[in-house]
Amino acid sequence: MIKGRRRRAAGVWRLGALALLVACARNEVPTAPPSSPPAPRISRAVPEARGDIETLPDRKRRAVRYKGWPTEDFGAFRTYAYDDRRPEPRPASAPMPATPGDPAKGRQMFLSRNVGPCTGCHLVRGDDVWPAGNVGPDLSTYGDRNLPDEYTFNLIYDPRHVFPRTLMPPWGTDGVLTPADIADVVAFLKTQKGPVPPEKDAERNPATRPRPTGFGDNLDPTNNPAVVRAESAEALWNQKGPAGRACADCHAGGPAAAMKGVATRYPRHVARYGRVVGIEDVLSVHGPGTTGRPLPLESAENLDLAVAIKMASNGMPVALDLKSPENAAALRRGRDSFYRRVGQRNHACADCHTKVDGKGADKFLGGRLLADVETGLTRHFPTWRTSQGDVWDMRKRMQWCMTPLGANMLAADAVEYAELELYLASFDVGKPIDAPGIRH
Amino acid sequence: MAAIGQVKIRVPSGIKGGDIVRVRALVIHPMEIVERKDGKPVDKNYHFINRVIVTYLGKEIAQFDTSQSISENPFFAFAVKATDPGELKVIFLDTHGGRYEGTADIKLG
Amino acid sequence: MATSIHRTMTRRGWLRALGWLGVALGLSSWRLGGARAASAQGHLADLVPEENVDATIKRLFAGRPIKDGASAIKLDLPLIAENGAVVPVAVEVAAPQTSQSYVKAIYIISDKNRRPLNVKFNLSPAVGQAYVGTNLRLGESTDVRAVVEMNDGTLLQAKRDVKVTVGGCGG
Repeated sequence: MIKGRRRRAAGVWRLGALALLVACARNEVPTAPPSSPPAPRISRAVPEARGDIETLPDRKRRAVRYKGWPTEDFGAFRTYAYDDRRPEPRPASAPMPATPGDPAKGRQMFLSRNVGPCTGCHLVRGDDVWPAGNVGPDLSTYGDRNLPDEYTFNLIYDPRHVFPRTLMPPWGTDGVLTPADIADVVAFLKTQKGPVPPEKDAERNPATRPRPTGFGDNLDPTNNPAVVRAESAEALWNQKGPAGRACADCHAGGPAAAMKGVATRYPRHVARYGRVVGIEDVLSVHGPGTTGRPLPLESAENLDLAVAIKMASNGMPVALDLKSPENAAALRRGRDSFYRRVGQRNHACADCHTKVDGKGADKFLGGRLLADVETGLTRHFPTWRTSQGDVWDMRKRMQWCMTPLGANMLAADAVEYAELELYLASFDVGKPIDAPGIRH
Repeated sequence: MAAIGQVKIRVPSGIKGGDIVRVRALVIHPMEIVERKDGKPVDKNYHFINRVIVTYLGKEIAQFDTSQSISENPFFAFAVKATDPGELKVIFLDTHGGRYEGTADIKLG
Repeated sequence: MATSIHRTMTRRGWLRALGWLGVALGLSSWRLGGARAASAQGHLADLVPEENVDATIKRLFAGRPIKDGASAIKLDLPLIAENGAVVPVAVEVAAPQTSQSYVKAIYIISDKNRRPLNVKFNLSPAVGQAYVGTNLRLGESTDVRAVVEMNDGTLLQAKRDVKVTVGGCGG
């Protein structure tokens, strides 16, 4: 794919004499057999995208994250890191408080976005319940079932006592709710009884709510600002970097011509790098390695180029290699990550993004319709996000998922994310690339 | 990063004289919203498009008074009666004295 | 005004004080009205006030009657907006623009926004048809209305309720 590259080194991430953000990479030569996961290395993402945790003067730990993202350290809970071998938290119990809970406080907590909200998955009564989801059962008549308080309490404390393979978080075990909080919720649920008032509003109930209609033509530059962003990449392509060279020196014709078809083959294992890489990862190494221009992941330049490179393959079917020993092994690890429970909420990607076994795909989580992984979720990335006013690549999207899950994020270029991306992209195989998207 | 002030205009093709055509124009712009600190608005020179002027064949045919409650990277759609071939121009003005324009050629088939 | 005026002012001192006075007055009139500095129009004092929608309607239309225009105005809005940052809206009035009868202005007003008027589209007969579209910012679920003003001053209105989805794991 790369013509005329001069600086081929025996090793992997060797970058020679170029002054870069990274001093030197660890574990450059792949010594492990292909079936074991690659060793960790230094991230080439912008500082706020590295998943770092800093220790403050008062010894508290704070996550270094993108501007505006929560900074709580969730180090106590499992992450996607391959060397994080901690098991899922085992179901725990606590005695139910002797005093009955307060149903008004319980209702407030049920609807509160600071905690669950429980309405993310469960519909309850009230015109002000907006937007409730239907990943979990409708609880509007829970009180009619006259279940013992202690049963409900234990179920909320850790649902795995009752439903071993549930996707409902272990609210008590993982310390999201205190026993007093749970007692309030129990008291509230008991009020959900009697005749259900008629629905005034088809949108309120997720079962009758219309699906989102999207944001129009994703390739229209008068509609999707990400298309305009890709034009910056055209200019950058021709600009000489600090090493006196431009992308165009080897890749003539601009990204649209020179990169046609390239994106259909990524992510993939690249022997030179000793790991699976996506487009954004390649840019972060190849860019400085040739032009001298640093292109850290999650920088505007990296994103603009990734959009342009992906666009160059629009209409072409995704054509990943999933058969080579390295890619097959990476695919297995990516699949394991997809099904791995992480974070304080103890969720796996599969919980929201597959359909079987009562899982969440094609249902509403709060107001959000959950996507089904089998439809192929990567071919419109990087995508414009209207709620963010910015382009997001797949890595940032994965990192954000960690926020509601209560898990620490990994670096944007973590191999765990790259292999998870490979697994996700395996469902795009054969489908035409259509980037950049425009989504919420 | 797309530079502030980049303008994109879309005009349909295959226009015949007298057709009423729909035009879309977008400008890259932050459209800053009022910040609040401790619940009170912060005073600063917020940067947003506050006026859009549309000219056709050199004459002003429409003008929009816009505000911060229009989305970032705003787009505007409007109609034009394509009487003659010529230039359609959209001018975006912002609160910092910025003036960004884009033009499209109305060609009649 | 920064200078303090002492009893024992020299002539030069007076001239200087009056000079500052002149500059200070010039700057404030610049802000209050007339020729505003083109590069500083975004201050709070330049914005319309935060107000209740009833006050906005009163301020814009001074008590003129607003007729129900639901049959004449096509107002396109999503029932549910995925977020309040980008809510597409389109307004179309079927009757063609002629020099005798044309839509002079279309106001888009979001009742629950702090400043309910989102945009005022000023049109002329040359546009051919009163059709406009844009993306709105909505602070919360709200009624959104399009008020159409004809060249003869007639006002018509169409209105839709838009629910804004907040929160969720998508951010």
